[in-house]
Amino acid sequence: MSTQASARSRLSRSAAIAVGAFILVAWTVFPFLWILLTSLKSPTDIVAVPPTFTFTPTLNNYIALLFGDQSGGGVSTTRPDFPRFFVNSVIISVGAIALSVLVGIPAAYALARFDFPLKGALAFIFMSFRFVPFIVFVVPLYLIYQRVGLHNTHLGLILAYQLISLPFTIWLLRSFFMEIPVEIQEAAAIDGCSWLGVLTRVILPLSLPGLAVTVILGFMFCWNAFNYPLMLAGRNTFPVTVGAIQFISYEQVLWGQMAAATIISALPQLILSLMVQKYIVRGLTMGAVK
Amino acid sequence: MGNNIQRRRAQRRRSRVVLPYVLMAPAIVLLVGMVYPFAVGAYYSLTSYWLQYPQRFRFVWFDNYIELLEEPLFSQALKFTLGFTLVAVVVQVGLGIAAALFLHGRVPGRSTLRAMMLMPLMIPPVITALMWKIMMASTNAGILNHLLSYIGLGPINWFGATEAAMVSILIIDTWGNLPFVALILLGGLQALPTEPYEAARVDGAGAWDIFRFITLPLLAPFIVLVATFRTMDSLRIFDVIYATTVGGPNDATTNLHIMAYQYSFQWYQLGRGMAQGMVLLLLVVVISYLLMRMWDRAAERTPK
Amino acid sequence: MRLHRRSFMGLMLAMSTTPRAFAQSDDSLAYFRRAKINWRQAEGQPLALGMNKHPFTESLLPLIPEFKELTGINLDYLILPENEYFTRLAADLSQKQGEFSVIMTGPMRNWQYVTPGWIDELDPFLKDPKLTDPAWYKLDDFIPGLLSANRWSGKIGAGVGEGPLYSIPVMAEGYILHYRKDIFDQYNIKVPTTIDEMAEAARLVKKHAGIAGIVARGTPNVAALATGYISGLKSYTGGEWSEIDSNMRANLHDPQAVKYTETYIDMIRESGPPNWANLQWYDAMESFAAGQAGMLGDADIFAATFEDPKRSKVAGKVGYALIPGGSGGKTIAGLWTWALGINKAAKNKTAAWLFIQWATSQRTLLRATLNYRNLNPTRTSVTTDPRVKEMIGSWGGGSYVETTKKNFETARIAWVPQPERTRLRDIRARAHHAIYFKRMSAADALKKASADLDRVLKDAGIRP
Repeated sequence: MSTQASARSRLSRSAAIAVGAFILVAWTVFPFLWILLTSLKSPTDIVAVPPTFTFTPTLNNYIALLFGDQSGGGVSTTRPDFPRFFVNSVIISVGAIALSVLVGIPAAYALARFDFPLKGALAFIFMSFRFVPFIVFVVPLYLIYQRVGLHNTHLGLILAYQLISLPFTIWLLRSFFMEIPVEIQEAAAIDGCSWLGVLTRVILPLSLPGLAVTVILGFMFCWNAFNYPLMLAGRNTFPVTVGAIQFISYEQVLWGQMAAATIISALPQLILSLMVQKYIVRGLTMGAVK
Repeated sequence: MGNNIQRRRAQRRRSRVVLPYVLMAPAIVLLVGMVYPFAVGAYYSLTSYWLQYPQRFRFVWFDNYIELLEEPLFSQALKFTLGFTLVAVVVQVGLGIAAALFLHGRVPGRSTLRAMMLMPLMIPPVITALMWKIMMASTNAGILNHLLSYIGLGPINWFGATEAAMVSILIIDTWGNLPFVALILLGGLQALPTEPYEAARVDGAGAWDIFRFITLPLLAPFIVLVATFRTMDSLRIFDVIYATTVGGPNDATTNLHIMAYQYSFQWYQLGRGMAQGMVLLLLVVVISYLLMRMWDRAAERTPK
Repeated sequence: MRLHRRSFMGLMLAMSTTPRAFAQSDDSLAYFRRAKINWRQAEGQPLALGMNKHPFTESLLPLIPEFKELTGINLDYLILPENEYFTRLAADLSQKQGEFSVIMTGPMRNWQYVTPGWIDELDPFLKDPKLTDPAWYKLDDFIPGLLSANRWSGKIGAGVGEGPLYSIPVMAEGYILHYRKDIFDQYNIKVPTTIDEMAEAARLVKKHAGIAGIVARGTPNVAALATGYISGLKSYTGGEWSEIDSNMRANLHDPQAVKYTETYIDMIRESGPPNWANLQWYDAMESFAAGQAGMLGDADIFAATFEDPKRSKVAGKVGYALIPGGSGGKTIAGLWTWALGINKAAKNKTAAWLFIQWATSQRTLLRATLNYRNLNPTRTSVTTDPRVKEMIGSWGGGSYVETTKKNFETARIAWVPQPERTRLRDIRARAHHAIYFKRMSAADALKKASADLDRVLKDAGIRP
């Protein structure tokens, strides 16, 4: 009797888990799957009613995306601008997060380990930049950039992206640095290490996972940015986010190529994050709570 | 010898005064670079700046802010901003807790599921929105309505009706951000002490009681934290609305950010647009300050 | 590897299609060199274009090397979708930075840009013998109505077609009724000539064919209502009514406008697709192309999509007719032209003008139409070219050519020239949504819209 009941409860538990897992997977993966399918469809299959799962797959959307439209005498073509957009995204995101980390490490160190007047105020001001709606910044930035020649440059965007990545980097790194017991740091100092020695030989190695998380999350935020580059970038500096809306043409929307662009532009982040997903989860929480 | 030590101590004391500023200097330089455009924006909010009438530019003090009170769209946008944020945070944190508990349990393939959860975070919100827009086509051309028809539901008028449009925005926003919420809460669950659970098990407490009286209170600081983050971002949500409804239909999904965008970039009334942006900023700062204080208190209450 | 080969072959194919219509590019250069101007007078100068994502723009891109060879000008460009493009353009023009020298604009946009002095008059360029060879350029080859639509005296409320020329049209769209000829024939539905007949036809299509009787743009932005709706309203009132009266007072709530709007919105609510309020122009077009709607009153150039079997399920099944007129039976449709203009803050204006002259030359425009279906052509010589005629002659059993020709005889800029056109459009769209969702009666909603517009015109100093 009781073994039967427990067997039944074990069964219903497994069923519940299966249902839960199915919902989670379907919810998360289905949109990707659909976009992947869309990216392999021809224009007529894309607008088919009702939508179809069975079709002859084609790589034309990817070819058009990477090499320009090759359909021959097509009505609306795309230039093969996308590879450049992709490279731009990489340059700007890597540059922005590198600058943020370079500047953020000493700042976070100071905020975590020193007491000085204005410390609270500075920490608050840095953080509060995370709150500011982009609309307040973007017009003045446009104006300033035009005047000083930062408009449509990678450097200009890297600087503008500091609005996105710097407050976040400082805040997260500070939390990680505070994690490290003060005793270890003091021991190092007594051994004759300067502050630089303490930072490079003790603090940084100990918070390496945290640093990795900061870099990846910061990279992700920069990669996802849309509004700043829309106003501040140009043809030579557009990232993939602005590139994605370029498939809305005057006479048609190139849904297939837009889908292909989505897939390709998500790839580097997916690979990166799968490689370090364990750290991301841990880093997110560590940084978040302290 | 002793002299030497004393000198080094003095040096260190001096450096402890100057050093933090030296360390902060590069960040402060960048900070000044950020404050300047912000100050320009704040200044514009006090002027009648309207791009196509440069000759009418003048300083108007708080006229743009006072105008807002008479602007019917403002009260609508404010209501949607706050209402959307409230619902989004409650829904996303609720679902986030459920997903975190699920992933925390003994589930086969847990690490795969967790890795998979990260995927939506990797897609830029503007692309997420475009993606969902394709799937949410209102006729049976949309895959979602097509699938729903198999189980006898729909078709749902995703973006074409006022209430549905609000819900659709919520769904898209939730898809993109639920992983963030769930993963932070999952980390929180993993960091919880095991003793209270063991004690509860000895007492023979049920699963619900354990959740209600042990997990939830222990998890509270994490919950408040993700709620704060989601609140800040939901108040400012822009990309998703911009790429799907642009504030419609009948202004149902116009929030303060979209409204400020319309005034600034569609109608070129920069003075008004900037004032609306400042109001939004104020809202975000005040609300997140309140939530942060809540978090401090929750963190203090939690037994270490 | 296979990818590469395919793309290479495609490239060869693409290269071979251009000379199919035209001889070698050397010949092309010879064509341009016949003009009695020095094409290389701005040699080495940089030139930036700000362009809307559009078939015309696409048609220019492969020709850019030719332009560089001809002029030695260093060409760069930025292409964005319409909405984002106009945002960037306004930022550039208003800050007088001259980021873009040549811009893509149009009559209604010019009204915004002329008042603050953001764009240049083109007449001085046309008259300068060093810059233009009139005998070669043939300005009078442009269809007169389309060219004059880009003139404006600068007086708010009047003077379209008078005064300086601000831009040169590269394509024009008029608004016509696209309808499903197969369905109309099958169920004996009459092609409507009044708004009431249109509502009836929509009802019948929905009843018999089970698809939306009519589809239309409905989002509150992107020129949502400046096309089919306004053309119908203009026609309904026999061209008498305009949205702003001669004293610059809003007249959106005119009784005739209220009556028409009520019928129009009721028709959409009753027989249109349920998601009308979120339909962009491309959603409306795609839904018609997918065979999901019986009628679409919108840009004639959409026919290029409808008649393309690669992108449309209704190729060969579409009929074209004039937008239903009023009781007088007269149709006065709206009109839009995309056109090239020069930013007043541009640094290299000679280079800018050389580009415009090249891009709007007979040869370049003909190529745009033949190879990229840039419709409708703005030069008579392109319209009458046998290859163009062959391309579009069969559309709708010949009814496309006939309809657009007839439409352009009476079509005109349906708006009162004033800088707040975008605002007017958005205010009106809001009223339409309020009526559609039954938040307000048509009379109340349009009355409120008039009041809102009056307030804006007053704030802007357009009306005392």
